[in-house]
Amino acid sequence: MLSLMRRQRFLLNCAPISANQSGDRSMRLALSRADGSVEFANQQKFDRAVSGVVRLIPIPAESAEWFSEKDLLPVSNWTWKKMVRNPAVLAISIAVAVIAGVFVFNFLSHLNDFPGSTTARKLLTIAASTRPVMLDPVNAEAGTLSDLFFMKHGLEHYDVPPEFADFDTIGCRVFEDDESRRIAQIWVSEKRMQFFLFPAERDSKTGAVLRFPGWRYVHQEGWTGAVTLQSGVCFMAAIRGPDKDLEPYLAKPKE
Amino acid sequence: MPDRKQNLPQLYRFCFLMLGDPRKAQDVFHATLRDAAQRAAHGELPSEPFWLFRDARWRCMEATKTDLQPESFKLDEHEIAPQAASQIERLDPTQLAIWISGAPDPQRSVLALFYLDEFDYHEILDLADLKLSELSRLLVKGRRQLQAWLDAKFPQLGEV
Repeated sequence: MLSLMRRQRFLLNCAPISANQSGDRSMRLALSRADGSVEFANQQKFDRAVSGVVRLIPIPAESAEWFSEKDLLPVSNWTWKKMVRNPAVLAISIAVAVIAGVFVFNFLSHLNDFPGSTTARKLLTIAASTRPVMLDPVNAEAGTLSDLFFMKHGLEHYDVPPEFADFDTIGCRVFEDDESRRIAQIWVSEKRMQFFLFPAERDSKTGAVLRFPGWRYVHQEGWTGAVTLQSGVCFMAAIRGPDKDLEPYLAKPKE
Repeated sequence: MPDRKQNLPQLYRFCFLMLGDPRKAQDVFHATLRDAAQRAAHGELPSEPFWLFRDARWRCMEATKTDLQPESFKLDEHEIAPQAASQIERLDPTQLAIWISGAPDPQRSVLALFYLDEFDYHEILDLADLKLSELSRLLVKGRRQLQAWLDAKFPQLGEV
């Protein structure tokens, strides 16, 4: 309480001379409490009189010349144009634009992600580097290879979907990827397409298959893959070219 | 920057109150503005609102640093008289400026800034780098000393 009164006393001693020096809330409060005080009224009259004499100080003509030369002390014109030209602002803007670009690129790249898309992209890279001699020659329809994969390699449900089952096979193989998953690769004569069958992605906690509906596209190094999930195994038809090269096969599902 | 803060006539008056001499006040005023104009040309104007006054204050203090300093002695102090206003009205601006410029700093700066009626107390605290209690004490002391001087200068009015 005492310190509050002292502060108000201090504020009154610094009270504004004229009304246009609007004080803050604490000053206004102090002024309202001092209203009617003779001592304060004398102080105000004293200050106004001194200030009145100060206002009478004449300005020499030499000094007054400065007042008309407004350009000597230009008011700092803050404009968007000026701000944009500031190297620091420019550098920050470019950096933000690049970061935003990378962010948008990553966002768009992963917009069509689905469980297994990462593996599918890796397999597209393998497809691009595979040569026919690397595969075991097989002369049969792709749909018949399910039995071969089951009998020879113990791979269950490694079935080629009906859409691609009738294509003649050039060769096939089974290999392990860098995560020791067993991948079946089939090369068919139709547009030199390659098929991949690989285990579907599973939930790390429950072990349940992470499902996705229908056909999903992935792209990597000029190759396109159409991936679908059936019985816990993913099938990917890979082709060098755009989506439209695969679309005709997917549009008409066979019975 | 609000126009009020770039009030150049007030800047000159501030220099005059600080120095009590029109010639010196003009020198400091011109030097401050010349420097400001150069800084403006290089796009280096400070962003703070009353940098011109801060700069001028520093120049005034520098200008008087080498001057002969008055011997320090305790000035008389009187309570503010009801008729003080009529005593003050008889003062010539130069007399007032000489009296203010003779005060030791920071009292001189405080009185000059306060009686310009240009700044609120927050701004004066910032410009003079003081606390509220110090500003209050310096103003009270300044008023009482000025009253004593007025009483000595115009005794017949003080006795009314």
